[in-house]
Amino acid sequence: MRVDVRALGACSRLAERGAEQAAGALSDLTGADLAVEVTGASVASGEDLAEAFAGRESIGVSVGLRGGLDGEAVLAFDAANVDALLSLLPGGASMERSAVTEVGNIALGGFLDGWANYLGKAIDMTPPRYFEADGAAVLPDGALAGDGVFLFESRLEATTTDLDFSIYMLPDSGPFRDLIVGEAAPAATPGAEAVGDGDRGRTAVSYESLSTFASLAKRGSANAADNIAMMTGLETTVDVSRLRFVPLADIPTEVGVEPYAGTVFELQGKPSGYLAILFEEESAAAIAASMLPSEPDEPLGGMAENALCELGNVMTSGFIDGWANVLGTSISHSPPEFVHDIGSATISPLVARLSRRQDYGFVIDAAIQTEGVEARCDVYALPDERELTQALDRLSET
Amino acid sequence: MSHSSSSRGPGSRDRDESDDDTGPLGEGAGERRIRVGVGDLAVATEGETLTTSGLGSCVAVALVDDDAGVRGLLHAMLPASDEARTPGARRGKYVDAGIDELVDRLVAAGAAPGRLEARVAGGAEMLNLTDAVGPRNVEQVERCLSTAGIPIVASDVGDGVGRTVQFVAGGGLVVRAADGFERTL
Repeated sequence: MRVDVRALGACSRLAERGAEQAAGALSDLTGADLAVEVTGASVASGEDLAEAFAGRESIGVSVGLRGGLDGEAVLAFDAANVDALLSLLPGGASMERSAVTEVGNIALGGFLDGWANYLGKAIDMTPPRYFEADGAAVLPDGALAGDGVFLFESRLEATTTDLDFSIYMLPDSGPFRDLIVGEAAPAATPGAEAVGDGDRGRTAVSYESLSTFASLAKRGSANAADNIAMMTGLETTVDVSRLRFVPLADIPTEVGVEPYAGTVFELQGKPSGYLAILFEEESAAAIAASMLPSEPDEPLGGMAENALCELGNVMTSGFIDGWANVLGTSISHSPPEFVHDIGSATISPLVARLSRRQDYGFVIDAAIQTEGVEARCDVYALPDERELTQALDRLSET
Repeated sequence: MSHSSSSRGPGSRDRDESDDDTGPLGEGAGERRIRVGVGDLAVATEGETLTTSGLGSCVAVALVDDDAGVRGLLHAMLPASDEARTPGARRGKYVDAGIDELVDRLVAAGAAPGRLEARVAGGAEMLNLTDAVGPRNVEQVERCLSTAGIPIVASDVGDGVGRTVQFVAGGGLVVRAADGFERTL
């Protein structure tokens, strides 16, 4: 299957708008203001998803989709938040299942409206099904079946209360395939870019190439973790590594407003781009201390900065190691630039720079955990979309 | 519930304007918050607090017509839309297009262009890697507001520090820096 990256952008935009409709419906129902934090499409194997969702308990509502789009959509929230949600709903706790089911039905109806309008065809929803699920069982049927899925995920958060929802949609391959290969997805969406025939060759990549790149990114995350282990002597593992296609403007919000310390790199070559390694402050201080011969005077002073820069260097080398070989290009990275600030403020200049050419992009995000010092870092790799697409396209030809 | 709306395009859902100001929790309009995302803008007409977080090189432009009680907040990423090679992008992504859109939306909500005044925050030079996009954003804000005849009454821009802002009823812009320092413009 070949995927048109621009058509995938148009689909992401639909998912984003659908999520906004769902947020509006949920705000009306609960009286809590909900905002869409992030929407994206994961290129993920079932195994990756199972790892990413391990340990979560969710309550949710699923509907089957027929007509304009075949597949399944799910509205889910953390089981720990059920009381908070019920307290906001008419009928409250006495109505638990039926109230939650109705919320799911209305929110998913809102989510699907935009897709139906765009497709010009009704999307029929099967009656909503209430469920309680552990781990990745929350995901639509088929998400864990193996390779070859695009899982659309939106996260909705309340601005004033502790309430958040996720919407997952897994389209079956038939009609969805027509959408993302660009057959049905030109500029009918207001604001979407046209997918001209002349451009199609430059923006289409095979799903297999994307999948190969997702594996490569995963291996890169493992290399980066190994390099931390080597430098600190502490056992380090990759919690999550995902390749997603997201609106770039959502990334800073996703990183959040907590303070982070770490390093940022520019990637040079094909693809060019940026890579950021961000530690929460305590984690940064702990990991830096573990690399220094003696306790530093300041937890995040000059000595710690040097240690984090050195660590960033070897992590980045490990992370992009193998990209050039597999993609048949040459990629290098700049010296590290130390950052210590609000997380989203740190990443927004990188996003701004890439946004000159693209609104959507592939992002690789990985969470790496170091035992012993309880340190955790997030790695974000932001390749230039056109250059990555071209490299992946060449990959599928060889 | 509120007359707020976001700029995310024609498909976005504006809240039902016929509802009253209180939700099931009896939450008053003064406590309501409208979050403005990156490359986005919003207008508040009922005393809602407009917030945007994690301003690094991005710039926040807060416009108010005190007499009309109408306020708006823009969180722009890049100086000028002619840098765009991404047709169809959100207008709020760019300082120039975003300010135009925000002024239009404020006027539609009852503001008089001649009464608008501006507060500006952000535009930090966070990284050496990204060719000073922060200062260029600030310059562009000054240029665009000057052209539009909107005075800047206060600003907290530049340096190398991330900021979070809240635009509260009454027109004050509360700016909190990453180091916890807070000031109201």
